[in-house]
Amino acid sequence: MDDRFIVIGENTHATRVLMRKSPRIVGGEGQEAIAFPGEDGTTLHLPVPDAVRRGQDFEEGRVKHIRIAILAGMGSDPAAARLGRAYITHVVRAQEAAGAHFLDLNVDEMSIRLDRQQAAMDWLVRCVQEISRLPLSVDSSNLEIIATGLAACAPGGPRPMVNSASLERLEALDLARDGRAAVVVTAAGEKGMPAGIDDRVANASRMVEAALARAIPPADIHIDPLIFPVSVDASFPGHALGAMRALRDRWGPEIHITGGFSNVSFGIPYRRAINDAFLRMAVEAGASSGIIDPVMNPPSRAFGMQPDTLAYRLAEDVLAGRDEHCRAYIGAWRRKEI
Amino acid sequence: MTDFSLISNEALRGEIEEFVTRPAEIERNLRVFSRAHPRMQAIALAVIEGEHHLCDRLTREALEAGHVAIEVMDDGLIAGMGVVGIKFRENFIFVPEVLACARAMKSGMAHIEPILSASGVPPAGKVVMGTVKGDLHDIGKNLCIMMLRGAGFEVVDLGVDTAPDAFIDAVEESGARLVGMSALLTTTVPNMGRTIEAFIDAGLRDDVQIMVGGAPVTQEFADDMGADGYGKDALACVAEAKRLLGINA
Repeated sequence: MDDRFIVIGENTHATRVLMRKSPRIVGGEGQEAIAFPGEDGTTLHLPVPDAVRRGQDFEEGRVKHIRIAILAGMGSDPAAARLGRAYITHVVRAQEAAGAHFLDLNVDEMSIRLDRQQAAMDWLVRCVQEISRLPLSVDSSNLEIIATGLAACAPGGPRPMVNSASLERLEALDLARDGRAAVVVTAAGEKGMPAGIDDRVANASRMVEAALARAIPPADIHIDPLIFPVSVDASFPGHALGAMRALRDRWGPEIHITGGFSNVSFGIPYRRAINDAFLRMAVEAGASSGIIDPVMNPPSRAFGMQPDTLAYRLAEDVLAGRDEHCRAYIGAWRRKEI
Repeated sequence: MTDFSLISNEALRGEIEEFVTRPAEIERNLRVFSRAHPRMQAIALAVIEGEHHLCDRLTREALEAGHVAIEVMDDGLIAGMGVVGIKFRENFIFVPEVLACARAMKSGMAHIEPILSASGVPPAGKVVMGTVKGDLHDIGKNLCIMMLRGAGFEVVDLGVDTAPDAFIDAVEESGARLVGMSALLTTTVPNMGRTIEAFIDAGLRDDVQIMVGGAPVTQEFADDMGADGYGKDALACVAEAKRLLGINA
C-alpha cells in the first residue's frame, strides 16, 4: 500500500517475553537456555541465569529474553557477555530484515532502580550502534533514561528519535532539539489520558506547536494520538482514527502520524487480524509511521491483506465499533472459523 | 466428593464442570450452587454469559418473588462473578467478555444496592483503589475494581496518577481499612513505596492494610516496599482483599 511507511521497530525491549514451553527454550530443569542462530548460522545458547530462574516471571512460565541478553551483555563473564551481544545482534538483524527504519530501545523493565535502568540504556545504545546503522528510537517513560540514551548515541551516527514527549513532559522536546533527534509527541494531557477525538487533537496540536517553536522540522515530528484497546471500549479505535484524520488535515502532509498500533488488540485472542486491519485503517486515516514489531506484524502483510475474508470483515466490525464486546469476533475464533 | 449433579441448572453445571479445575474452587462452587435456589442459579448463569438484560430481569423477578436482597447478591450475582474471575484467570474468556459480565452483574446490583443501603447492611469491605502517581494506566486496576465490586466490596476509585496525599485523604474520608495501588510502569513502581512512606509519615500506616499489583510488580517488590499484600491478577486481588480484611472466602 505504501512503501514510505516508517517502521519504528519495537522489539528490543526488556519487557519482551518468551513462554517457557516455547521450543526456543531448551535444556533440562535448572539448565534452561534460549536457543538462537548466531551470525554464522550455528545455533547458540543464551543461558537463563540463576537469579532470573528464581524470579516470579520464570516460575509463572515467562522468560524475558531481551532482559536476559542485556544482563549477560553487561555482566563480567566474557563468554556470557559475547552471547548477550550475539543475542541482541540476532534480534536487531531480524528487525532490519523485516524492514525497520528505526530500532526502538526500551530498558524500563530491567530494574525499578533508575541507576540500573540508565546503565542498561547506556549499554544497549552503545551495543546496538555497533551492530546496526539504523537510527535508534530511545524509548522510556522516564526522561532521565531518555537523556542517558541520547547521550550514548555517537555524535556522527544516524540521528536518533526520542520516544516520547507529551504535555506533562515538555522537556523531552528540549532533549530532541539538543540532540537533533526526531521525536514522538503523544496526545496525553497534563493530567491524564485523552478522552475522545477533540481532546487528542487539542493535546497533540499543542505538542506540535511546542516542537515547531523549538525549530524541530515537521518531518522529524511523529504524532501519536494514543491508541487504546478496543477490548475496553468499542469506540476507542474510532477516537484514534478520527484524531489521525483531523491531525493530518490540520498539520499537512510533511508531519508524521504514528502510534503503538498493536495496543488496539490488547485483551482479545487472535490479535493478528485485528492488528492488520487496524494498520490499514490507520494508514487510510493518515498514519505514515508506526511503532510496531515488523517481525510479528509486518506492514506488508497488513497492506496485502484480502479485505473480503471473514477474518478481515469481523476485525473491521470490531474496530468500527459494530461488534459489542467483540462477541462475533471471539465467537468466530472459538469456533475456529477465523 | 465432587457430585456436579447437585447443581440443578444444567448450563451452570456445565460451566463449573468445564472451567473450574482447582479442587478448592470446585468444592466452593459446588457448596454455593448446590444449595442455591434455581432462580439464583439462573442469575449466576446470566452473569457468566454476560447477558445484562436477562440479569436485570431475573434479579427483579427474584426480588418480586420474595427472595431477600442478600441471597440474590451472594448466591446469584457474586457467585456468578466468581466463576467469571476463574474463567478469565485461566484464559478461557477475554477482557471484552469480562466487561460484558461485569455489566450484567451491575444491572443486577442496581436493584440490590438501594435495598441494602436502606436496610443498613454493610458491604463486605471498603477498599480505596488507585493507579499511583505518574502512571496513567487503568485497565488492570479497573478489572480489579470490577472483581472487587463483583465480590461485594465497596470501592473508592481514585483513578490514575494518584498522589500519596490523595490516597491518604480518601482513607480518612471513607474510613476504608484497605488500600490497593496499581502501576504498569517500572518507572512508577517506586511511587508505591513512596505512598507507603507517606502513610507512615501521616501516622496512618497501622490503620490500613496496603496491597499492590500491576504487570511489573512482583511479590518481592511488594515485600521490599513494605506492602501487606500482593496480587498478580484481578482474582488474586479479591483473595488478598479478603485475607487482609479477615473475610472468609
